[in-house]
This record gives sequence, structure tokens and C-alpha cells, in this order.
Amino acid sequence: MQTEILDIAVFTTLAALVATVVMLPPGIGLAWVLARHQFRGKAIVETLASLPLVMPPVATGLMLLWLVGRRGPVGRALAPFGIEIVFTPAAVVLAMAIMGLPLLVRTARAGFEQVTKRYEQMAETLGARPWRVFTTVTLPLASRNILAGALLGFTRALGEFGATIVVAGSIPGRTRTLAVGIYTYTETGQDARAASLLAVSVTLAFGAALIANRLARVD
Amino acid sequence: MLRWWATFALVIATVVPLPAQRPEVLVSAAASLADVMGTIARIYEMRTGTRVVVNTGASNTLARQIAAGAAVDLFISADEAQMGTIREEVVANTTVDLLSNQLAVVVPADRPRTLRSARELTDAAFRRIAIGDPAAVPAGVYAKAHLQQLGIWPAVSGKIVPTASVRLALAAVENGAADAAIVYRTDLNAAHRASLALAIPLAEGPRIIYPAAVIRSGRNREGATRLLAWLRGTEAAGIFKGAGFIPLGQ
Amino acid sequence: MADAATRMPPQFELRFLMTQGAFTVAADLEIAARAIALFGPSGSGKTTILEVIAGLRSPKHGRITVCGRILCDTDTHTNVPVRDRHVGYVPQDVLLFPHLDVRRNVTYAQPRRRHIDMPDLDQLLGLTTLMDRKVSGLSGGERQRVALARALYSGPDVLLLDEPLAAVDLARRRLILDTLVAIRDELRVPLVYVTHSPEEARAIADYAIVLDEGNVIAAGVPDDVLP
Repeated sequence: MQTEILDIAVFTTLAALVATVVMLPPGIGLAWVLARHQFRGKAIVETLASLPLVMPPVATGLMLLWLVGRRGPVGRALAPFGIEIVFTPAAVVLAMAIMGLPLLVRTARAGFEQVTKRYEQMAETLGARPWRVFTTVTLPLASRNILAGALLGFTRALGEFGATIVVAGSIPGRTRTLAVGIYTYTETGQDARAASLLAVSVTLAFGAALIANRLARVD
Repeated sequence: MLRWWATFALVIATVVPLPAQRPEVLVSAAASLADVMGTIARIYEMRTGTRVVVNTGASNTLARQIAAGAAVDLFISADEAQMGTIREEVVANTTVDLLSNQLAVVVPADRPRTLRSARELTDAAFRRIAIGDPAAVPAGVYAKAHLQQLGIWPAVSGKIVPTASVRLALAAVENGAADAAIVYRTDLNAAHRASLALAIPLAEGPRIIYPAAVIRSGRNREGATRLLAWLRGTEAAGIFKGAGFIPLGQ
Repeated sequence: MADAATRMPPQFELRFLMTQGAFTVAADLEIAARAIALFGPSGSGKTTILEVIAGLRSPKHGRITVCGRILCDTDTHTNVPVRDRHVGYVPQDVLLFPHLDVRRNVTYAQPRRRHIDMPDLDQLLGLTTLMDRKVSGLSGGERQRVALARALYSGPDVLLLDEPLAAVDLARRRLILDTLVAIRDELRVPLVYVTHSPEEARAIADYAIVLDEGNVIAAGVPDDVLP
């Protein structure tokens, strides 16, 4: 039982880490676009980006299942390469990344909004091209918020349940995460195991949330 | 830059699923079967060398996954209704009634009581009765059907506390929030602070069936067929019985 | 090396109209000068002119030429991007990058062909002891020196200075003024200098533009136009 609990804890943490890495590029890009650009349909993009936060996670999971399932548009495109997402660790990572993304985007966006545009203008007068301005000035100045957002996204990923169980299922040793494990063990009356997972999950979430809150605080 | 690529490669390697090297049978089974199916998988692999991977969840979730084309080989549902929703995904003539279960009335262990019939739930001592939400949870559907059959649904419906799963109905009794719950007989195996008040006899209760079927989009139809046959054999029957289920056999 | 005084002074052309809400800044000047002072009270449009030259603001119509190079001409739809204007800009709040140390601030720009050598910069601005320090610990005068070094490092065509002595204590002002004169005469980088002090304008500029509420009310030799 001990190794089983440990396996689930390690797998969940790793999957959440990978999910965080996966959500960073689109999350940072989206946050920057929302913070710095006005365009038609911005409200729609904004709403879409926060949808996983307000929608029931199971509904998000069902949408993902429809997308990446073998009959869905993404699933069909991947099928010729022998790649299948549903019921694999990739599905866990996908569900976690989608659910964590809104938190990352929100926090990072606030960070970008705090960066004075004039620093970027200074870099421009010094000859920097847009990409260099972004990587050497904008990104470092917003890094604290981005880090906080990544941590929040990571915490959300750690606790993700609804979307995960729909698109990844609950397969021991393959897709069973802390939250899914707690559900499965509770459903089968294995209260001691559920309690162990609960303890692990509370500890992990507490630590991550503590650091995230400390980082997000403006000093 | 190199660092970025290294990170990227690592992520891809972790995430991109590779096709399984060894033929295995992927079984989607109702959450209530999670524990016993774990045992089944271990023993079946020992006997035949075939790996059985078990995915568990609420039956309706499992059905949705199959409808989306998930490569499930064998599906064991907690009720016939969910199996019915994916009729088109099932290999013809493979659906069998694998298991049955019994309804049970449970009460808190510190207030044990024995009932002769669920009719006694109209007693004023039962102020709150927990059942799975009849709108979604199979156990709740069965419980409501039984109370209707007895003609006492109008009398007790005001006392009913619907829960999101049958386990939560049991938990409500265990923590004293409800005075009684109607659950599966098998749920009592793991109950510590609830005691059995009445096991509703099979003949009087609703027909509770766990149907199983081979799924068309699976990758190992042959393996699934063989596993299903084994599940209906004597050794599997013993394991199911040990967990409180009623094997329906060949 | 030709004597500074005998060389042709750099040519500037500032002909533009810029509006921002109700505020309008207009100029119509052709100038040959090594250092131009923009003089006037707060809100008279001095900083706006610097920003128009740097390309941070676009005029509604007009034409800007620095050292004979056209940076903006609305008639021909020419608008050189900020990064290619080769201007060294030191805003009033200097805006050193807070996340970079002094060395990285100074060397942020890519040196151009006609860049200024680090030893020369160091000698002029006394940077050696500052190089490895954090930006947050610098005094007002030190910040000003670092900002000058950053703006000069790539060898700009012109140096745009927005009240560079405002945050410097009185004792150090003379020193910085001498440095600016050295930049003008030894490094031969022309200056556009925003100030509201006639003394400073006289000390540094050979041409002065007096502004009030966005309009040029006088322009010419400092002694003639300054109060």
C-alpha cells in the first residue's frame, strides 16, 4: 500500500510539473496579448480563457474527450501516427494543463499590466527588436507574477479531478492521480488509502499555495 | 537556446504516448467494482499471462468515453441503462449479465436495528434517509424503484436525502447525518460505523444487473472475449462472491 | 582631427504638428547646431518634442530630420521604427532597467559600427566602480551617469536629454554639465537638451527653442532668445 501511495504521489507531481511546462508558452503568450493589445473579439478570447475556471470540470473533460477522442477532430488527426491520448498520461497532462491555464493567464496578465510600457520603449530606443524587448525586458519584469501564476496553475493541476477522470480515466499505475485516487478509493470503501492520499495531497497543495501566495504579493 | 530544446524534448518524451508493446486487455469497470477488479486482474495475469488494465469511474462517464471512441476492450457497467446508451459500440451478441447485487438498508452502528421490510422506513424514528440521487445514480434509481414498488414513496419522499454517489449515502449514515440509507449489499464490506438492518431479498427487490460487453473500438477483441468467458467461470465467481456480488454465471 | 568649431554643425529639421487630445505641439524649424536647448515651463511640450524625435510619438503630419537623416516624413509615408532611429534617450526619470545590473544596463544596446569605446565611456563617466552594482542602490548622480553611458554605448546620432540635472544635487551639477560638454565636443554627439533653467541652456546649447503651451515662441542663439 505504501509504494502504491508513493507512486500515485510521484506520478501526480510529475504530471502536474509537465502540465505546468506545457501551459507556460501559450499561457504567457495569451496573458501578454490580453494585457497589451486591443482587438475585436477580445472579450470572447478573454471569456474562453477563463471558461475552464467557471465551467464544471467534468464538462471541460467531456469537451476534451470529444476533441481528442478517436472520433474527435484532434484524435482523428493523431490517429495515423499511432498516437492516442485518451486513457494515457498525456490525457492527464492535457486535462491538468487546460484546467491550470486560466489561473496562469490571469496572474501573468496582471504582471504584464504592471510592467511600465516605458521600459519597453527604452529598450526600443536602444535598438532592440520586439522579441528581444519581450525576452529581456517585459518577461523578466513580469517574471514574479508569471512564476506565481505557474505555481497556481501547478496547484490547480495537482488537485484536478473532474476533467482528468473523464479523459484519462482511473487506471492504477498509468493515469490514477491523487484526486482520482481519492475518489476511486472512497467509492470502493478503501478509506485508509483515501486518507493517505488526502494527507499527501493536502501537504503538496499547502506548500505550493503558500509559495504562490508569497510570490504574488506585491512587495 | 539549447536548454529550451532540451526541456522541450523532455516534455515531448514524457507526454507522447507510445503504443503498448504487449497485448493487454483494457477493461472499463463501474467504480463499485474497482477493488474486486484489481484482484481479478492480478489473478488473471497469473493464470494466463495476459495483462488486464482496469479503468474505473462512474458508469455514465465510462459510457461517454466509449462513445468518444476510447479504445476500451471490455465494459462492465453498473446498470443496463448506461450499457444501453452505447449499444452501437458493442460487438453483437457479446452482452451478458455478469453480476447482480442486492439492495440493503443500513443504519448507524451505534443505533443498530433490524427491519423485516423496507416498509418500516415510514417509522418516525427515521427522520432522514440517504439514497443515491435517483436522477443520476443507479443505486438511487433502484432504491426509489423499490420504495415505489412497496407503495411508500409518497410517504418517505420528504425524508429522502439524495447524494451524489451511493458511497456518500453510506457515509451519511456512518457520520450520523442520516438515520438510514439504502445502498448495495457490497458497500457494507468496507463500512465500519454502519450496520445492516435489512438485506432486501433478490426476489422482492429490483433486478440489479451489472452487464458486460466486448467493445468494438477496442484493440484486443480476442483477449476481451477470452477474459469475459473467464469472468463467467468458477474461479472468478468465487472472487466476486467473496466481495459480496452475486455472479450470474454461464 | 578637425577642430570642433570649424566643422559643419549637424543639421536638424523639426517641422511637425502633433496632437494629443486637446494638447497640440507644433514646430517649424530648420537648425544647424551641436546642442539644442528646449526651454520652457512644465507642460509646454518640451518632452513631447524629444519623444517625437525618438519615435515614441507620431506627429499628425510633418518631417523630422536628424543630422541630415530623415526619421519621419508623413508626405512620403516614411517612419523609421524607434529601434532604427539611432537616438540615445535619457528620460527625466532615467528608467534604468531595474532587473539588470549596471554593466548590463550600459551594454544593453548592440554597438554600432560607429560606437563609443568602453574605456572612453569609462573615462568620461567614471563607471568602473559602478559596473557590478545593482541599479537600486545608485544615487541620483550615479543613475544619471549610468543612463548616459547606456544611451551613448552604441554610438547614437543624437543624444536626447530630459532635464538631466533635475535629480542631481547642486554640487554635482557642474560635473555633469562638463561631461555633457565633453560628449558634445569630444565624442561629437549632438545634444537635444530639455531644461527650464536659462543658465543650463546657455552653458550647453548653441541654439535654443523657447516653448509655451506647445508653441515655439522664440528660436535662435541662446543669448538672444533666453530670458
